[in-house]
Amino acid sequence: MNASGMTAAEPVLELKGLRKSFGETQIIRGVDLAVKRGQRHALIGPNGAGKSTLFNLISGHYVPTSGEILLNGESIAGLAPHIINRRGLSRSFQITNVFPRMSVAENLRISIMGRHGHRFTLFQAISALKAVNDEVDEYIRKLRLERRRNDLAGDLAYSEQRILEMGMSLATEPSVLILDEPTAGMSREETAYIVELIREVTEGRTLLVVEHDMSVVFTLCDQVSVLVYGEVIATGDPASVRANKKVQEAYLGEEVH
Amino acid sequence: MKFSRSFMLAIVALAILATLPLFLSGNLLNAAIKMMIAALFALAFTLAMGQAGMLSFGHAAYYGLGAFAALHLMKGVEQQLFWFPTPLVPLGGAVVGFLFGLLFGWFATQRSGVYFSMVTLALAELLFTIAPTLSGVFGDESGISTIRGAWWVFSFGPDNQVYYLTLAWVAICSLLMWCFTQTPLGRLALALRDNEHRVRFLGFNTHLARTLIFAISCLFTGVAGALLAIANEATNYTIFAAGASANVVLQTFIGGAGTFFGPALGAAVMTFFARVTSDLTRSWLLYQGVIFVLVMLFAPGGLGGLVATHAQKVRAGAWRGLIGPYALALLAGLLLVAGLVFTVESIHVVLTDAYLAATRAAGGKWVPFKLFGTSFAPDSPVTWGLPIALFAAGGLLLPIARRMTLAAWREATALPDVVGSTASPSSPARKSQGAAT
Repeated sequence: MNASGMTAAEPVLELKGLRKSFGETQIIRGVDLAVKRGQRHALIGPNGAGKSTLFNLISGHYVPTSGEILLNGESIAGLAPHIINRRGLSRSFQITNVFPRMSVAENLRISIMGRHGHRFTLFQAISALKAVNDEVDEYIRKLRLERRRNDLAGDLAYSEQRILEMGMSLATEPSVLILDEPTAGMSREETAYIVELIREVTEGRTLLVVEHDMSVVFTLCDQVSVLVYGEVIATGDPASVRANKKVQEAYLGEEVH
Repeated sequence: MKFSRSFMLAIVALAILATLPLFLSGNLLNAAIKMMIAALFALAFTLAMGQAGMLSFGHAAYYGLGAFAALHLMKGVEQQLFWFPTPLVPLGGAVVGFLFGLLFGWFATQRSGVYFSMVTLALAELLFTIAPTLSGVFGDESGISTIRGAWWVFSFGPDNQVYYLTLAWVAICSLLMWCFTQTPLGRLALALRDNEHRVRFLGFNTHLARTLIFAISCLFTGVAGALLAIANEATNYTIFAAGASANVVLQTFIGGAGTFFGPALGAAVMTFFARVTSDLTRSWLLYQGVIFVLVMLFAPGGLGGLVATHAQKVRAGAWRGLIGPYALALLAGLLLVAGLVFTVESIHVVLTDAYLAATRAAGGKWVPFKLFGTSFAPDSPVTWGLPIALFAAGGLLLPIARRMTLAAWREATALPDVVGSTASPSSPARKSQGAAT
C-alpha cells in the first residue's frame, strides 16, 4: 500500500549482474534486483537457491566475484561490513546474534551510540550520554521489551532474542534493513506477533526480507522476488508472483498459498 | 546502592592500605609493594582479557618495556642528562606500554581466540630473544640498574616512601580502569567479548577498537612495570620471560576474571603466597599449581566470583548458618593440605643429594630424615601412619562438610517464600528480611 505511490522512486538498493562463485561452483549467477524506497521487498526461493549467499554479499560478509551492489546510487560491493553499515545498510541474522552477557538496554545502546559518534569515546561516562540513553528507552518501548530492560540478553526467550536482534539492526537507523528469516523456528502465535511488530517498527522504512513462510511474505511484503539456482526468475506484487507459472514449477508442487 | 557499597569498600580498602606501613616490618612492607604492583598488573591484564575477551599470553612484554622505560628515565636523571620528577616516572612506562600495545596489538588483534593468544605469545618471546642482544637498551645479561632520584621533600630512599608512591599510582590507575568500564569504549569492549562478529555489522571497526582496548591494557601494564622498576631499581631481560606472562594469567584466573577487583585480589594473594612459600620450600610451584587446579575445578569464578556470589545470593543475616559448615570444610581442607604437604616435603627431603649421601654412608640403609624440626624414620609406622591418618580424617570429613555446606547454602540463599513453605522453625527473622528485599 505504502509503496504504490512511490514506484517511481529511485531504488535504494540495487543489484546489477551480481555473481558469486566458490571455486568452480557458481552460486549467484547474475542477479538483478531493485529495492525501492519505502518498499517491503521479500526474497523467496527453494532451499539452496542462494538466498543466504546473496544476503552475505549485500552485507559485506562475502566479496562478489563480479557485478555491482549500489546503495543510494553508490557502490558498496566488497566494502568492509562496518563501512556498509555506516553507509546505511543494516542486516539481522538468521541465528540469534545478540550480546548474551549484556542487558537488553546495553545491547541496544551499542547499536545506538555508534550512530551518535560514540564509537571509541573514552573521556565521557556512558550514563551521561542523554541523547543515546533516551533513544535506547524509545527503542525498548517500540520493541515492547520494557519488562526485559535490565535482563541479560542471553536469558531472554528465543523469540525475544530475535526481536532484540532485529531491534539492534533497526537501531542503527539504516536506509535499508535486511532481515534473514525473521520468524524461523517460531510458533504460529510468535510468528503472528513478530510479523505485526515488524510491520509496526519498520513503518516507512525500506525492508528486504528473506523468508520461507509464505503467509509471512504475503502479509508483510508488497514486492516479492523469487530466487532459483542463483537467478531471479520473477519479481512483482505477491498476487502476480503467486500466479506465475515458472514460480510454481520451481517450487515443484510445494504449495504456494 | 550497589555502586555506593562498592565505593565504600574501595575507600575502606584504601584507608587500610594507607595505614599499613605503620604496622609492617621492612620485609612485609616490601611484600606489600610487590602485591600492589601485581594487583595493578592483573587489573591491566583483565582490561583486555576479562572485558574484551582478549586472552594475552604475552603481557610480560609490556610489563618489561614499562620497567625498562622507567629505568632509562631514572638513569637519565641520575646522570643529570635531564630533569624528571621521580613520582612521574611511571608515566614513561605508560607511554611506552601504550605505544608498543598499539604496534603489537595491531598485529595480534587481526585474529581472535587462540590465534590472538599465540600471536601475543610469539611477540613477547621475540622480545625475550632479542633483548639480550640489544645491550644498549636492555643492558646485557645483568640488565640495567640505577637509583631513585630525590624529589621535593622525598628522598625515595626508605621503603615506606616507595610504598606510598606505589599505592598512589595503583589507586589512581585502578580508578581510571574502573572509569574505563563506564565509557562507551568500555561498554563496546564487553560487546566485543560477547560477539565480535555482530559488532562489526553494527558499524564498528572492530579491529581498531580491539587494538585501542589492547593498547590501553598495555598502558596500565607499563605503569605496573615502571612501579616494579622504581621499587627494585633494576631489572634485566628475564622480565620478558614467558613465565611472567603465564603468572599474570594464573593470578587473574585464581582471582576471577569475571569481576572487576577479583584479579587484583588473586594477584595480591598469590604474590604473597609465592613470597612466603618460596622461602620455606622448593616445592612452592607445585603448591601454586595445585591451588590453580583446585580453583579452576571447584570455583571457576575465582576468589572474586566466590565473593560476588556470596554478596548477591546470601540474604543478610543468613550468614550464621554458613559459619559451621564452612569451618568444618576448612578443617577438612587443612587436614588434607597437611597430609599433602607432609608427603611432598618427605619425598623432597628423601630425594635431596644430602640424604642420598647419608644413606650411602650408612651402607645403603634408610636413615631418619629431618622435617619440620623432627626426625622421621622411613621405616617407622609413624612416618607412614601420619599422612595416611591426615588424608583419612580429611577424606572422611570432606563429604560431610560438603553435604552440610550444600544444605546451609540452599537455606541461606533460598527465596523468602520458598523458606516459608518449608516451614523452617527459625523463620521470624527471615521473614522480616524477606519483606525488606
